[in-house]
Amino acid sequence: MLEVQDLRVYYGKARQPVRAVNGVSFSLPRGESLGLVGESGCGKSTLGRALLRLEPIHSGRVLLDGVDMVRLRGAQLKAFRGRAQMIFQDPYGSLNPRHSIGGMLREAVAVHGRTTRANRDGRVAELLRAVGLDPAYTRRYPHEFSGGQRQRLGLARSLAVEPQLIIADEPVSALDVSVQVQILNLLKDLQQQLNLALLFIAHDLAVVRYVCSRILVMYLGKVVESAPAPALFAHTRHPYSEALLSAVPDVAKGLAARAGGAQQRIVLRGDMPSPMHTIPGCPFHPRCHRARPRCQTEVPALREIAPGHCSACHFAEEM
Amino acid sequence: MIMANGAPKLVEVENLQVQFFGGAHPVRAVDGVSFDIAEGETVALVGESGCGKSVTAMALAKLVPQPPGHYAGGRVLFGGREVLAIGERELRHLRGREISYIFQEPGSALNPVFTIGYQILEAIKLHRPEADARAEALELMRLVGIPEPEQRLRAYPHALSGGQQQRVMIAMAIACRPKLLVADEPTTALDVTIQAQILDLLRDLQKRLGMAMLLITHNLGLVAETAHRVNVMYAGRMVESGAAPDVLTRARHPYTRALLEAVPRLDGTEGRLKAIEGNVPNPADLPAGCKFHPRCPYARERCRSEEPPWEFDATAARGARCFFWREIAT
Repeated sequence: MLEVQDLRVYYGKARQPVRAVNGVSFSLPRGESLGLVGESGCGKSTLGRALLRLEPIHSGRVLLDGVDMVRLRGAQLKAFRGRAQMIFQDPYGSLNPRHSIGGMLREAVAVHGRTTRANRDGRVAELLRAVGLDPAYTRRYPHEFSGGQRQRLGLARSLAVEPQLIIADEPVSALDVSVQVQILNLLKDLQQQLNLALLFIAHDLAVVRYVCSRILVMYLGKVVESAPAPALFAHTRHPYSEALLSAVPDVAKGLAARAGGAQQRIVLRGDMPSPMHTIPGCPFHPRCHRARPRCQTEVPALREIAPGHCSACHFAEEM
Repeated sequence: MIMANGAPKLVEVENLQVQFFGGAHPVRAVDGVSFDIAEGETVALVGESGCGKSVTAMALAKLVPQPPGHYAGGRVLFGGREVLAIGERELRHLRGREISYIFQEPGSALNPVFTIGYQILEAIKLHRPEADARAEALELMRLVGIPEPEQRLRAYPHALSGGQQQRVMIAMAIACRPKLLVADEPTTALDVTIQAQILDLLRDLQKRLGMAMLLITHNLGLVAETAHRVNVMYAGRMVESGAAPDVLTRARHPYTRALLEAVPRLDGTEGRLKAIEGNVPNPADLPAGCKFHPRCPYARERCRSEEPPWEFDATAARGARCFFWREIAT
């Protein structure tokens, strides 16, 4: 139902733009969860925000049930936003401290009005129950809640308009480890119960694997690998995903490395380059541990290596 | 990996208690923490926000600001000296020269209005007036893997990436070849591939310089990959300790077990993760009895009213604060 085609988000001067999102295409059917991973500055958050028209779109198409929302204005844009909602990383920063929980949720219910005035309080109570909070909390204010509870409130608010698509941008990275799983399980359950399309943006690969059935790996504004989650973890087809996977600290991996002695961590050279400058050839080649002369001149295209498994590496077959 | 068994003890913390004044009642941020670090050893201190792990680390060099902080009891021995009892002069010798710290946000630990060079030189001049500070600074920059060190010495912190800034912090921290490096969430603010670089650097430096390291983290994966021993904290208390592989595979305290079960694994073998119900308690308003009992699946009547003591089994080198830790099956 969500179809993104060659989406580009550019900032700054037209002559030398910063290409934050540089030609991304993917589709996300209803009831599926898609993970978007990559390091800071890779464009994953910008992409998520652009899908809701919260960032200026340079070119490309974003089709929601066949309607291109890039061109929508006014009432049509508002209607579109009722169908796609976002959950943010900082649950406190995204709640108005001066609005009571009830007031905030009632407003969200009213704005995209599918509920009659008389039923609004009932709908608010229903939303609170759905995210595991006591409906009696309506008179309370955001500061009275813990981080995990606030993230539940953010989720309740996004569900208020009965969206078909939810974009969650690092929804658990500000939370304590013991609370993260509560939110992840809730998100998984609601996504399945309500048959939502979920775009889950995060830097933590283990968390993304837990929630998502498909994963896109981004680097410098481009998708470098896209695969079903199990396939990506079983057999990466891009050196960047390979390095990312090997770099994540993991209990089982750490213990195995101790027992076996050898640590096969791939440590990348240097930092991610600034998207201000264009890199000739493969954008990853200056840091790549598998780079060859061809990578310096020729830009690799994203192509299908195995069914449903795409990679933008000249040598994906050899991995 | 070097095992540090049998090496002499560098740090001994006994029943440490740190309180903060400010509200109606003092907040017991650290309440009964005991552990030790041998020379050259890596010890991890694990826990969630507010558990007292950072305050414990600060207390090792008597760095908790007083007021509002107050050392209410216990001892910290560093190389046999009573850190909490020695005078300001001796403390100054200890800090930076024998114990040094790196923190989570390298950007906020560096002064934005001075060059990198000025800040590194300051550390060397202060503690080692005899050294050729400039040559030493260049050597340090090379040691921590900063390219073009001469140019970088003239740069201001904002011109460096997060990973580079953390390398500068590490260069300053090891400037005096300390015996103990306290790394408080050193990689949390960095990207995964940069985290790997910094961890490799820390491990390498530790081996070369023979430093002990206290690694403060909430990430059990990091513990598995770097630490010899691990201490788990909850609500200001030590709740479990032991050799890292032993604790991670055979956790005895219900909190450690729950924490291990709540972390998604890369291999995807966990099925549906079990969440720990409720929230991390507010240190100003702790429950009675065992501080973990409201969230504990093993809690019984006794846990609600009586706080379990810290028990340590010297032969197994394992400790826990739970009435039932010896019974909890592995």
